[in-house]
Amino acid sequence: MRLADFGTTWTKWYDTETKSYGVVRTSEVDFRAAVGTGHNIRSRADRMINELVALAEGGLKRIPEPDFVLVDVGSREIKYVRFENRRLKEMNWSTSCAALTGFTLELLGSYFRLDFDHIRPAKQSVPVTCGVLGMEQIFELVGSGVSEADAVARFTRGLAENALRFSGNPEHLYLSGGMTSNALFCKSFPLGVEVISLGRFVLVEGLMSGEGVIDAGCP
Amino acid sequence: MEEIRRQDLVDLDNLYPGVPVSSDSVLPRTTCRIIRRIYDNALFMNLDEIVIDEGYGKCDSARAIASILEDRLPIPVRRTRNVSSEGRGTPVSDSALALREKVEMILSDFVRPVERSVIAEPHPAVAVWGVPCSDFLLYDLFPDGTKILGWTRCFENRTPADDELEQMIDPAVPTVFFAQMFCHKNALAKHLAGVHGGLYLDIDGQVTLPIRAKVEAFLHFRVGNRERGRREAG
Repeated sequence: MRLADFGTTWTKWYDTETKSYGVVRTSEVDFRAAVGTGHNIRSRADRMINELVALAEGGLKRIPEPDFVLVDVGSREIKYVRFENRRLKEMNWSTSCAALTGFTLELLGSYFRLDFDHIRPAKQSVPVTCGVLGMEQIFELVGSGVSEADAVARFTRGLAENALRFSGNPEHLYLSGGMTSNALFCKSFPLGVEVISLGRFVLVEGLMSGEGVIDAGCP
Repeated sequence: MEEIRRQDLVDLDNLYPGVPVSSDSVLPRTTCRIIRRIYDNALFMNLDEIVIDEGYGKCDSARAIASILEDRLPIPVRRTRNVSSEGRGTPVSDSALALREKVEMILSDFVRPVERSVIAEPHPAVAVWGVPCSDFLLYDLFPDGTKILGWTRCFENRTPADDELEQMIDPAVPTVFFAQMFCHKNALAKHLAGVHGGLYLDIDGQVTLPIRAKVEAFLHFRVGNRERGRREAG
């Protein structure tokens, strides 16, 4: 049985028979899932679970603490759930405040030919509320003499601060979604904030019904 | 639409398919959908007179739209203040009917009285607090018997300015607190959601995928768990 999270850019899947998992461009998906979630699910799954439910269920599977905040940052949107005593206390999903965050970073990375594994996190941030507005500021910075890598690092820190604000400024947060594959983003949260990355399969895991745990963390 | 135009009484708050949008060029985008709808309906329908409640139960925008319509239309605009405190009960809000049906009944009852002898729901799984939503698809997400609280309940009771009734919450029932985006009731909705551990929602226009997901997740985790607990205890 295949479980899949059909994201805006990437589809994450898990095969319960072979115990294997993988990532494929959503535009290249050539399979149908038994259970699915995600922005681009359309008619690609026999059964659909909504993304917040999948995220929350995945968080409950992966995180042992009674109280936790889990934030999922993907290509296009940001979602979070807050549990107290293993009981859902708060949640939110924004497609506008975090619009195109991961997607914008991918574009910038390939445009400037940047390797996110080797960019030093910025101490300053560009105050961004969405990828498109932030991109304009990057080109302003580059035009004023800041290096391309540093401009993108400031932008990335702005995205991280935005994700933190959106989830209520917790001191400890679990991070999931495609952006956990971006080392610069993972390191761009302000000092004093403990970020624990769970990788990009948390939603897929939320689709399982006690069938095991996928171990895939941050780079 | 002709049928609507022939009615003696029309509630301008309500959605009438086919009414063209003319408010975009007159009202700022930060105007709530219901006020915009009042403007669109009033401009399109051949009305003889408009009566607007601009009292404590309404908002500043109601007063503003009264002035705007006075300037734009050649018909009288009568301003009133509904301060009635004589409640006539809330059987529909507390009934076992589907939520959409309840809201439709409460709103239509205002211009055409409806039969309100309905079966009560003694154990509602969830409650919805707030004003009527501009997109009734929201109501289809909830189970039958969902309790109605907030201003819509006051409206059924014919006491729209009853602050105490508006803030009445049943702490035992998980509650979704809703306000139309750009409505002043958002502050109260968010505050009450925080105090009572409910879900706060603001919607502008249509119910989007994230809104739908939030409601579904709330029902899944809060209502589903509570119902499972009750079944196990029973």
